[in-house]
Amino acid sequence: MIFRVINIVVIGALILAAAYVYRIKFDSTVQAEHLAKLRGEVRRERDRIAALRAEWGELDNPGRIEILAKRFLKLKPIAPTQFDSLDRLPERPPDDARAANDDPIGGMIGNLDPPEAVTGTIPAPAPAATPPDQPSRAPSPPSGALNQ
Amino acid sequence: MSATAETIQAVPAEPWRRRLLRSLLYGRNSNRAAKARARVGLAIVAFAIVYCIIAARLVMFAAVSDGRVAHRVVSGDAIATARPEILDSNGEVLATDVRVPSLYAEPRRLIDVDEAVELLTADLPDLDATELRERLSSRRGFVWLKRDITPEQQREIYHQGLPGIGFLNENKRDYPNGAEVSHLLGRVDIDNQGTAGIEKWLDNQGLAALHLAGLATDRLQTPVQLAVDLRVQHALRDELIKARDKFHAIAAAGLVLNVRTGEIVAMVSEPDYDPNIPHNPRDQSLINRLTTGVYEMGSTFKAFTVAMALDSGKVTLKSSFDAHNPLHYGKFDIHDFEPMQRSLSVPEIFTYSSNIGAARIAMSMGVDAHKAFLRKMGQLDRLRTELESAEPIVPKRWSELNTITIAFGHGLSVAPLQAVMGVGALMNGGILIPPTFLKRTEAEAQALGHRVIKPETSAMMRYLMRLNVEKGTASKADVAGYYIGGKTGTADKVVFGRYSKTRVLTDFIAVLPADQPRYVLLIMLDEPKALPETHGFTTSGWNAVPTGGAVVARIAPLLGIEPRLDLPPADQQILASMKESR
Repeated sequence: MIFRVINIVVIGALILAAAYVYRIKFDSTVQAEHLAKLRGEVRRERDRIAALRAEWGELDNPGRIEILAKRFLKLKPIAPTQFDSLDRLPERPPDDARAANDDPIGGMIGNLDPPEAVTGTIPAPAPAATPPDQPSRAPSPPSGALNQ
Repeated sequence: MSATAETIQAVPAEPWRRRLLRSLLYGRNSNRAAKARARVGLAIVAFAIVYCIIAARLVMFAAVSDGRVAHRVVSGDAIATARPEILDSNGEVLATDVRVPSLYAEPRRLIDVDEAVELLTADLPDLDATELRERLSSRRGFVWLKRDITPEQQREIYHQGLPGIGFLNENKRDYPNGAEVSHLLGRVDIDNQGTAGIEKWLDNQGLAALHLAGLATDRLQTPVQLAVDLRVQHALRDELIKARDKFHAIAAAGLVLNVRTGEIVAMVSEPDYDPNIPHNPRDQSLINRLTTGVYEMGSTFKAFTVAMALDSGKVTLKSSFDAHNPLHYGKFDIHDFEPMQRSLSVPEIFTYSSNIGAARIAMSMGVDAHKAFLRKMGQLDRLRTELESAEPIVPKRWSELNTITIAFGHGLSVAPLQAVMGVGALMNGGILIPPTFLKRTEAEAQALGHRVIKPETSAMMRYLMRLNVEKGTASKADVAGYYIGGKTGTADKVVFGRYSKTRVLTDFIAVLPADQPRYVLLIMLDEPKALPETHGFTTSGWNAVPTGGAVVARIAPLLGIEPRLDLPPADQQILASMKESR
């Protein structure tokens, strides 16, 4: 009697296990197919990227660019005299000349009196010498209306 | 125990005849029932093992099959093997694999041949209709119709829905820049195996073994980055083609070498070829003249002669050598191109390119020292780089006459790349660095290189090179702002075993900038012709040198060399700074 019960229990367990295994197996097959599909897609994308890169390389070829530039642009090859170093750059023009008003020259004349204009030959005055109430002009901020 | 009890009970039930038979067959005391149980037990164990094996195999199949599914899809359409991408030093694509569809047919499955021919020729106009019909009418299982069709054509044909017509994707090597980098990259054959250049080197690096194992089908291989700069390469090639056409030369070649790292930044050998188009690989006019050709370099070799003498300490820049008369040696006379008929100092010998002077310098050093120096400079042995290169042609018996002629660049044929490597060592402070086509850092190069001459000798050589541009044979290369130094060479070509007077090979080796060397440039023209504007001359100073100047003007901004105008002449800029640094 006890054996019969055990047999029934075991058969039930077997069926359950089989069903469970079947489900796992089925899921894994679905997953594997999905994976294969994604891999194929990745590979196709990679192939397309490679093809586009090759095409870009062809379009970006210096010889082709040169022909197009000669035909459509007025640019010429750069000459050594066109290079210069930053420290040989001339001093920035006085801020008055760049001020955003409609009469820059008038503005410059009107502002001639501050003596602290700094050029290549006139060095900036020592900070202590600057009167505290007068805004220093030489290292002035690059923006803002400075026409007083 | 219970088994024996049952046996005892069972014994009397047996008839006497059977008992007799049993005792005759098995012996008197055997217990058959016990044996039967043991046998049943054995059978149970055996069956259990068999079922365990079956179960284990089932588990194995279940676990492994996932991988198999993915693998089958991948290998379905890969035929030709994949190769890694090749990039230039800025990451531009020089060579890559593209998947191209190829069209095939299975004639047995075809229903209407006429319809198929009509539709296919409509989409692929370059397909020959009669040949196509012939192929489709054959009873074969599989025929290629057209390799390498465009995706648009594939789409069109696919939408026609012809039975028995299909596509296979193949890897095809694509060189987007065409002939631009041809000799350097080499090429591949129809099976995607490298047959020349860097492609062949790649195969020798183990890629071929991967191909054989069938593993290299996917493009997940690390790209190979070369030292070549596509922009510099293009500028060099463009100028060389112009020079070749202008001087009607049969060939032109050029090379840019980074003297600090040994990287080859550009290498052009005209005529070249488009690696995308298959052609005869045995064509001799298409060899890479810089590595697989060997040439007598002419006067550029005087740089080695002078460097040897200066490095020995026996000769200084102030030493002078007799060049009054042509040099007689045995039955040979050594002449100068422009005889000065006086004693010449070392800088004069270099800038006038005096053969007599160079020969006398070499003679004063002796044959053995000359040979040893050239061996040290790597001029007598085959150069090892990623590309195959030719063995230099060294005289078998090296007599004093050989030393005399080799002193001015005749009688020893080297691969031009080799000569450039040697000059690079003369320029960069005296370190001989083996050249490479791959990217390399300065630290790696210093570890590979070894000192061949003193730094002071190198500075003196740079002074001489610069002097030669300021007031010597290379004055036409003086592009303002780049402080070029250079040495010209014009070698008479050997025609039918004799030196020709009219057919020459001219070359020009330049260093830029001469005071802080970064690059060495070689320009080589094979048989340039005289033009009215060269006043009938075919020497290097009239063709290779101006070409070199034009190349420098174009490539120096690309190489990031800052132009410096108003630099003092060489004796102040190079020699004076050398004395200061001591």
